[in-house]
Amino acid sequence: MSGTDFIVLGGGLVGSAIAYGLARRGKRVAVLDEGDVAHRASRGNFGLVWVQGKGLGMPEYADWARLSADVWPEFAAGMKERTGIDLNYRKPGGFQLCLSDEEMAERIAFIDRLREQQGAKGYDCEVVDRRRLDNLLPELGPEVVGGTYCPHDGHVNPLRLLKALHKALGGAYRPNSKVTAIRPAGGGFRIEAGQTVHEAPRIVLAAGLGNLPLADMLGFKLPVRPQRGQILVTERLPAFLDYPLSGVRQTEEGTVMLGSSREEVGYDNGTSPEVMRSIAANAVRVFPRLKHARIVRAWGALRILAPDEFPIYQTVPGHDGAHVATCHSGVSLAGAHALRFAGYLAEGRLPAHFTAFHSRRFDVPKAA
Amino acid sequence: MSAINSGEIDLAVVGAGPAGLAAATTAAELGLAVSVFDENATPGGQIYRGIEAVAAKRGADFAVLGDAYRAGESIVRDFRASKAAYAPNTGVWLVQKDRQLGIVRDGKAGMVAARRVLIATGAQERPVPIPGWTLPGVMLAGAAQGLLKSAGMVPAGPVVLAGNGPLLYQLAAQLVAAGVKIAALLETRSERAAALPHLPAALMAGNYLAKGLGLIAAVKRAGVPIRRGVTELRALGCERLEAVEVAAGGRTERIDAALLCLHQGVVANVQLSLAIPLKHEWSAAQRCWRPVVDQWGNSDVEGIAVAGDCAGIGGAEAAAHAGRIAAFEAARALGRIDAAARDTHAASDLAAWRRHLRARPFLDALYPPAQGLVVPADDVPVCRCEEVTAGQVRDAVRQGGTGPNQVKSFTRSGMGPCQGRMCALTVSEVIADALGKPVAEIGTYRIRPPIKPLTVGELAALE
Repeated sequence: MSGTDFIVLGGGLVGSAIAYGLARRGKRVAVLDEGDVAHRASRGNFGLVWVQGKGLGMPEYADWARLSADVWPEFAAGMKERTGIDLNYRKPGGFQLCLSDEEMAERIAFIDRLREQQGAKGYDCEVVDRRRLDNLLPELGPEVVGGTYCPHDGHVNPLRLLKALHKALGGAYRPNSKVTAIRPAGGGFRIEAGQTVHEAPRIVLAAGLGNLPLADMLGFKLPVRPQRGQILVTERLPAFLDYPLSGVRQTEEGTVMLGSSREEVGYDNGTSPEVMRSIAANAVRVFPRLKHARIVRAWGALRILAPDEFPIYQTVPGHDGAHVATCHSGVSLAGAHALRFAGYLAEGRLPAHFTAFHSRRFDVPKAA
Repeated sequence: MSAINSGEIDLAVVGAGPAGLAAATTAAELGLAVSVFDENATPGGQIYRGIEAVAAKRGADFAVLGDAYRAGESIVRDFRASKAAYAPNTGVWLVQKDRQLGIVRDGKAGMVAARRVLIATGAQERPVPIPGWTLPGVMLAGAAQGLLKSAGMVPAGPVVLAGNGPLLYQLAAQLVAAGVKIAALLETRSERAAALPHLPAALMAGNYLAKGLGLIAAVKRAGVPIRRGVTELRALGCERLEAVEVAAGGRTERIDAALLCLHQGVVANVQLSLAIPLKHEWSAAQRCWRPVVDQWGNSDVEGIAVAGDCAGIGGAEAAAHAGRIAAFEAARALGRIDAAARDTHAASDLAAWRRHLRARPFLDALYPPAQGLVVPADDVPVCRCEEVTAGQVRDAVRQGGTGPNQVKSFTRSGMGPCQGRMCALTVSEVIADALGKPVAEIGTYRIRPPIKPLTVGELAALE
């Protein structure tokens, strides 16, 4: 293992995208991953590459999400070229629909606030009324009053993305390597993973919820928590939907994914009939035709959320060679992680505006 | 969400085969409020499929289907006479650890709460992935037998039976009795030497051997050509099955066939118990997963028990005893009888259950699935829904896939409508083989609800 520049801890979408980006820049990397069963948000997510609605309260994140969407086409093309795997990335723009006038008014106000925040840069998200929606989306339910459209939104097959990243990493990807200890050693780090030991001057903690125990090994309390989302997927249907919606998308295979909920239930990644029912009910309100579609599977997966739900990028306090990357948008941000963030790491410094992503933002003194 | 049944349920039984029916009848006799949920239209499960119709209208078919089938008549009759509630045509698509059941019937989905749950979902056939097994005209032997039982349907054209195990001989005997011409019975290797040490115990278990030998004799008497120790089974054909190719005695033979019935034994149907999930273990002897249960059927989840073949293959007679045993335990757990009364009530069933199980080590050792069939060659499809081959599974392993769930993500195996029912075992076996590890370490798919067909509209209207 001598001669490794970076050890990336975590082989999900975040860790793999960063490692791929590092390898692309000629860095020697090793990715340590757990086995078949782990939290694995990378296997349970919805597959949107999404911009609209993100970053209110942190302009740097709104910019970062947009930048990722901008580089995604190049990223997807690179993956195809390197691995032969088509990620089924499509960027037709995406919709969020509203089922009542109140919802519509709230949505418009929300997007206006974002637009105001982004100022001169502008914010590409337009309000679309029901009449225009009817030209773009098929047989909408009567309750749909309108929605918002963002041309930078898209969707992808997230499982193909993970597979392609692992394929591109080749022998650098090491499964069944659950990390049991991280020890600073000789200016770098000594990582114990089961029976094997790995050493490198720099490490990247990018293990999703697995980052909590990893950061703990370096004496750092990472402020993130799990939040469950449930998803339903239908049998394959003839293609009917050209655009991804925030809670409905039709995959290349024809299956329709329905989501997505938010529950604070700790580490339970199961499902619950109440939430499944509400996801199904919403889907039928938007597209009544889905009533007859058979559900093949439902599942729960855990988002990785900071208190303000924005990413955390920083070094571990007291350990300059140990970087942390924690976010819940591993699909949307894969482009930026591979083509930009990995570059920052390779060059040895994060851009100045990345201080916004540091967890010290949560260290505000309690109001008296 | 309100329960569909207005009354309170002491014991919800999932499955109306011998274990579920015997459990329901016994529990109802003990004063428990019992509801049986079953996806079929009539009681009996796979083993006694259609038995009421045969008894009422097709009595002559008993001669074809045999005495083992007829044994189900009294189980079904007793159940019908009991106070147990019965919900046929009802899919159980979810069982939660808190003993809430998700059911669907006539396009309506609902939730039902029970104090105790007994899972009695029986057995399923082990998949037999050979080249060409997805061709029309190739089916598993149990499915062919099901058609014979429910509809009295007999195949036209030359029939070939291939594989091994008691059910294959039973089907052969039934087809012979129904006047069907069997072109060949192709038996994969049986392990007489390995089975021999288990023979004395099996002889004590009952008339399993006599029945088996009787079936084999009947098939031979009918002049069915039998090839033993065959390998390299292939189903040939373009649009549908045309012939079966097989190697035996150092040469390859081609046999014209319109129907090929494959069989490699039955395995525990663990789809529901995995979805809950209950704790499972790998049975090396039966080469399948089974939930970890005690002698009363109690699983690791409080209030959820498992009885019959879905807890490990023991056969229909053992299943009926296991169902009754689980019913006595349910009555104890719900405070109707004390432990001493349970032990007294259950004593004869426990003894009979253990006696029947003594036949299994012999049968399991005699008829192991053929290695070439549980670990097929690269070009053989293993997941029929998503058309994934064994070679694609091996590719995923080479790229770092360490187990069935990662392989599922990377290949789509197990993502289709059957949720891996038909490929889970094969995929785990192929991964284990590729990594040189025991299947027990490899694990199996995480099964998610709904495990029975449910539409978005039905779920949206869940009550």
